[in-house]
Amino acid sequence: MTDNFAVQVRGLRMSFGSTEVLHGVDFDVRYGEVFCLLGPNGAGKTTTLEILEGFRPPMAGTVRVLGLDPAAQPGRLRERAGMVLQECGFPRQARVGELIEIWRRYYRNPRPLADLLEVVELTGVRNTQVRRLSAGQRRRLDFALALAGDPDIVFLDEPTTGFDPEARLRCWAAIENLRGLGKTILLTTHYLDEAERLADRIAILRAGRIELCGTTQEVAARAGLATRISFITPPAVRLGQVAPPDGIDMAARGPLSICHTPNAAMTLRQLLGWALENRLGDLDGLTVTAPSLEDTYLQLTGAAPNGGQS
Amino acid sequence: MTRSVRLAARQALLEQRSFWRSAEYALFTFVFPLMILLLIGAANVGSRLPGTDIKNTTVFVPGILAFGVIVAAYVNLGSKVAVLRHDGVLKRIRTTPLPSAAYFGGLLASTVATAILITACTGLIGWLAFGAGPRAGGLPTLAGGLVLGIVCFATLGLAISSVITSAESAGPVAYATFLPIAIISGVFDPTFSGLPAWLSHTVAAFPVKALAQVLQNAYAVRPFPAWDLLNLALWTAAGTAFTAWRFRWHT
Repeated sequence: MTDNFAVQVRGLRMSFGSTEVLHGVDFDVRYGEVFCLLGPNGAGKTTTLEILEGFRPPMAGTVRVLGLDPAAQPGRLRERAGMVLQECGFPRQARVGELIEIWRRYYRNPRPLADLLEVVELTGVRNTQVRRLSAGQRRRLDFALALAGDPDIVFLDEPTTGFDPEARLRCWAAIENLRGLGKTILLTTHYLDEAERLADRIAILRAGRIELCGTTQEVAARAGLATRISFITPPAVRLGQVAPPDGIDMAARGPLSICHTPNAAMTLRQLLGWALENRLGDLDGLTVTAPSLEDTYLQLTGAAPNGGQS
Repeated sequence: MTRSVRLAARQALLEQRSFWRSAEYALFTFVFPLMILLLIGAANVGSRLPGTDIKNTTVFVPGILAFGVIVAAYVNLGSKVAVLRHDGVLKRIRTTPLPSAAYFGGLLASTVATAILITACTGLIGWLAFGAGPRAGGLPTLAGGLVLGIVCFATLGLAISSVITSAESAGPVAYATFLPIAIISGVFDPTFSGLPAWLSHTVAAFPVKALAQVLQNAYAVRPFPAWDLLNLALWTAAGTAFTAWRFRWHT
C-alpha cells in the first residue's frame, strides 16, 4: 500500500460471533476529499468506521489511515484524526468555550479557540452550559471538539440523523467549512440528499459489501441507469400530424414526452434533427436529467416502487 | 510525563469547577456529613464511653471524618464515573490522544480535593462545637489514614461504577452499598454494640469500620491500628483488581 490515499481499505472482514457483517470491503479515500459511506441501517457503516478509528481490530483485511494501522497505532492516529461518534455525551456542567479549551490541550498542535468557535458557528454561545444547547448546536460542538487538534482527517458517523431541516442545513454548512479548511472527511449517512450535497465521492455499502463507488454521476452511470430527456409534446405530434421520431422509445406522460437513454448526446442530436425536419422549433421545455443518486440507491437497495431489481 | 501531570491538573480544575457549579450536588455532599455531625454530636456531648474516661465525641467525630471521606471518594467518584460512562463522555475521551492515566489522575485529584475539604470542615466543626481534636502526636496517623482511606474508597468507587448500569441508579447504588455497613459499623453511634458475633465479625471485614478506627486512633489513645491499615490496603488491591478487570469505556 502507498501513502497516496488518506484511507485505504482492502478485503476488510468483520464478524460478531458467527455473523459476518463485513464481507470484504474495499475503498480508498483521497486526501482533501469528502467521502461518503452511504447505506441503509445495519449495512455495516458504523462498524467500518469503528475499525478505521482503531476501536475494533478487523478479522481480516488491511486498513491504513494516514498511512497508519489504526489497530496497532491508535495513539498516533488519534493525534491526527478527529472523530465524531454517533451518540456521545458531554460533561454535564461544562461550558462550551471551557470544554473546547480543555480539548485543545489534549493535542500537541491545536487550532485556536476563536477559530474553532467560528468554524462551527458557536461563538455566540461560548459561555453557555453544554446542557442548554439544542441538538444541532451540540452536534456542531461535536465538530469543534473533533477539530480541536487540527486533524488531517475527520470521521463523522451519521452527523445529522434525527435533526430538523434547519439544524441539518447549519450542520451541512459546518461540514462545508471543514472542507474549506482542506480536511479529508469520511462521513457515513443513510440520507441520500446529504451524500449528494456533501460528498465528492460516494461508496454505497449494503449488507457488508461495497456495491458501487465513485462520484454521484459515476455511481449512477455504473448502476446502468439511463439519462431522462423530456419536452412538452408539440401540438402537431399530439394531434398525430407528425409521427414520433424513429428509433427513440418515446412515452407520453401528461403534457410531456419522455425517453430514457444510455447515450444522451446521440439521442439529443436525433431528437433535434427530427424536430428541425418537422418544423417543431426548439422543442419547448426540453430537459435533460442525469440519473440521480436517489434513483441509483433505490434501485440498488431494492426499495424502488417499480423497477427495483434486487 | 510532566505533560501528563499538567493535563491531569487541568482536568482536576475543570472537574472542581463543574462540581461547584451544580450547587445542590455540592451542597448535599457537604451538608449530609456535617448535619449528622452536628445532630448526633449534640446528643453525645458530655457522655463518656462506658467504663472509660474517653469522651464519646472524640470517637464520634473521627467516625464522621471517615463518613465524609467515603461520601467524597466512594459515592461521588463512583456515581460520577458511572454517569460519565452512561453519557458517553468516557467514549469521547477515548477518541482523543489524552493518556487515560492523565484523565483518571485528574478525576482522582479532584476527588482528593473534595475529600480533604470535607475532612477539614468536619474536623474544624467537631473541634469548635464539641472540643474534639486529634491527640498530641496523632497527626501522622490522621494524615496517613486519610490518604489511605481516600485511595481505598476511590478505587472501590471506580470498581462499583462498573456494575452500575444506568445514570439514574448511580447515586442510590453507591449509597445503598455503604450506608447499611456504615450504620452497623457504629460510625454514627460511638456506643453502638449488641450485634451478634457473626455480624460483628462480618462488618469488621469491610473497610468502613477499618477507616473509622484508624482515624479514631488519631483522636484517642488506642492500640496501633495495624489490622485496620492492612484491611484498607487489601480492599485497595481488591478495588484496583476489580476495576482493571471490569472497566469499560462505554455502556
